Amino acid sequence: MLGRHSFKLPRLTNMCVAYSTAAAEASVEQLYNRPKLTSTDYRTAENNTKQHSAVHEGKFYTLSPEQKKQLFSGGGLPRQYEQQIKTFTEACLMVRPTSLELLNYIRNTDFTRPVVRYVLYGENGVGKTLTMAHVLHYGLQNNFVLVHVPWVPNWMKRPKETVNATTQEGFIDLPFDAAAWLVHFKTQNANLLTQLQLKTSKDYVWTKREATPAGSTLLELVEHGIARIKFASETIAALLSELKQHANDDKCKIMVAIDGFNAFFHPETRILGDNKQRITPDRVTLTQPFLDITNYNWKNGVCVLTVDKIGMTEGYMDSYLPRYLLGKEGFEHLDPFVPLHVDNYSDKEFASCIQYYLDRNWIQKTPEGFDEQLKYLSNKNPYTLMRLTRSL
Amino acid sequence: MEVALRIGVNLLKINRVCVHSASRITDSYAKQIQLNRDFSTEVTVNAAPLAVKKHKVSKAMKAYLERARENDEFMKTQKLEYQIGKRHLANMMGEDAETFTQEDIDNAIAYLFPSGIFDKRARPLMKSPEEVFPARKAAEFDETGRPFHSMFYTGRPNFFKLLYDIVEEMNKIHDLEERMLRRGTRADANQKIDFTGFQWMPKEQLESMLVEQINDLEYTNFTNAMDRLVSLPFSYKCQNFIKKFSKPLLDQTKQLEIPKPQFDADGRQFVTTYECLRKTARGDVTVRMPGTGKITINGHDITYFEELQSREQVLFPLIFAGLLGKVDVEANVEGGGTSGQAGAIRWGIAMSLRSFVDQEMVESMRLAGLLQRDYRRRERKKFGQEGARRKYTWKKR
Repeated sequence: MLGRHSFKLPRLTNMCVAYSTAAAEASVEQLYNRPKLTSTDYRTAENNTKQHSAVHEGKFYTLSPEQKKQLFSGGGLPRQYEQQIKTFTEACLMVRPTSLELLNYIRNTDFTRPVVRYVLYGENGVGKTLTMAHVLHYGLQNNFVLVHVPWVPNWMKRPKETVNATTQEGFIDLPFDAAAWLVHFKTQNANLLTQLQLKTSKDYVWTKREATPAGSTLLELVEHGIARIKFASETIAALLSELKQHANDDKCKIMVAIDGFNAFFHPETRILGDNKQRITPDRVTLTQPFLDITNYNWKNGVCVLTVDKIGMTEGYMDSYLPRYLLGKEGFEHLDPFVPLHVDNYSDKEFASCIQYYLDRNWIQKTPEGFDEQLKYLSNKNPYTLMRLTRSL
Repeated sequence: MEVALRIGVNLLKINRVCVHSASRITDSYAKQIQLNRDFSTEVTVNAAPLAVKKHKVSKAMKAYLERARENDEFMKTQKLEYQIGKRHLANMMGEDAETFTQEDIDNAIAYLFPSGIFDKRARPLMKSPEEVFPARKAAEFDETGRPFHSMFYTGRPNFFKLLYDIVEEMNKIHDLEERMLRRGTRADANQKIDFTGFQWMPKEQLESMLVEQINDLEYTNFTNAMDRLVSLPFSYKCQNFIKKFSKPLLDQTKQLEIPKPQFDADGRQFVTTYECLRKTARGDVTVRMPGTGKITINGHDITYFEELQSREQVLFPLIFAGLLGKVDVEANVEGGGTSGQAGAIRWGIAMSLRSFVDQEMVESMRLAGLLQRDYRRRERKKFGQEGARRKYTWKKR
């Protein structure tokens, strides 16, 4: 029986393959009958980011809706990309060479050594945030505790509420933003934290009546922070220092991913202090914990940071290079780090992206040479391409 | 008969009369027309034979003679002044007065009286009086008031004479055709006049040739008659007559000379177009062939232009010629704004691409307006108005 099957199977599969490719080709030909772009190599079924290698470069892989919800429900994808995901009814990410390089580094990291800081930089709209999203997905699939800040400038530019900090003199507290971040942290890590059962190492006394005793789980700490918004910022500080300690004790691995990291070193924020003066980011209570966790004095972790021109305000947007964006102070804080340049699409990536858009019926007008024109008009910049194809 | 007529004509050999009005010739081809004018020459009044002098001189003739004399004198003084002025000018410029040409005069005037007035005809000039003062019709009747021309009473004798001549030519050709048919020969198809690329002399030019004003209908009659003449099978027999009234159409592409590509150090062909202008932007563009489609603008790539409109402007000639991705473009541009710079580069690329495409493509590029320099400039704001054209909001009080 087995023997019969085994000799029959190849023919059957061959037939299947022949049939399916023929059907696919026919449908694609209707849509886009130009032979120079091969039509099937823009998508990969490999959803395990651990397996991503150079063969998958330039191809789209699908993020399952549950994972997408878990990772990015509190932000982390650009708003217009979110809209596109909604339109396409699937969350696809392209495997970019920079993210492959970064994943390769992380896979080969010796976690007994101090953390390595990776800094993603590049022009506007080249895909820094989406590269980070890819890496976050890797973190999720490989049981990293994710410390992910979707967009730091949100805190510095348009905080929801500002109050004077109670414990630290002259500091500004952002309770709502801190609580929102705690919610984000919880959605990302709730499953993992229940598995790991990490305990607090010391008592945290919030008021006379409220306290988190030593030995309670980190989830309890987080939930307290969410429930008592007033102490959210202090909870974050406590949480991050606890996490750092646990990582040092080899109890967990942590992936720190902070988008728009340079906002921590911006010369000024839009937050007004007591005397209606704009304050500097170091006087926001949220800054210090995140600077601590991006320090190199711990192990079992990896830091992925992006520096972004649009995280700055007018007059500070001349260059996209890390030294300029971080300033002297920030550069010295991160030094030494691994800079990773995110570039525009290569020809291969561009072709694959066009294929994907055609597949999603996003581009419906395909006159002769439209892809060449798009290529030169957009200069192969992913964001510009997305904007250009909106009306096609 | 012949002798009597000659005596009559002898009395006055007058061909040109000028009035004293100082209106200027504005037509650019006025000079050219003067050379082949058949209907008027110098004003010269010969002494009439005694026998004729006894005849009574009509009042109209008297008035005419008076006017002719005055005009003669006026023109004489004008010519003298022109000569003196020319000598002065030559001295001022330190040149030899004898060899000082009209071109030298024009240059000297442009140098001494620089003028930014937009209309070139309103700028200072110094021309010979023959050019400046328009020619007038010569006397059309003799001392007794008897007209010379048999068609004088049509009001436009020269014009109707011309129509008459055309019919004369046609009749001649008809006769010829008849004779040829009788002999059994037909018209030579090879010699048939090919009128493509030609047009009839425009109305203004015809008017100044005839020294008569004609209306549009009459001009149409003229062109129709000429068309009929040309369409006859033996029309090549009166080729010279037709040629007198036809004018070749200018071919634009023949006028523009296409530069030959040079070779750079890598052995690639390249063409550089300097002075690419649009609004206040100035630039130069180099196109290299073969290339990979690299576009460099002031050292940046195409993201030098943030707006898509400008990027499209730069890419349009390349897309039109089908050379997108096959040539490299380097542009240096300064001054002006974004759209001005993009327009300047577009023009530069289009002009350079002529060297790398065939003649047909050049022609279609010309028709697409790619080779046409855009002369539009910013229009000035007017006082009493909000902008160039917009008026202030009307308010009752």
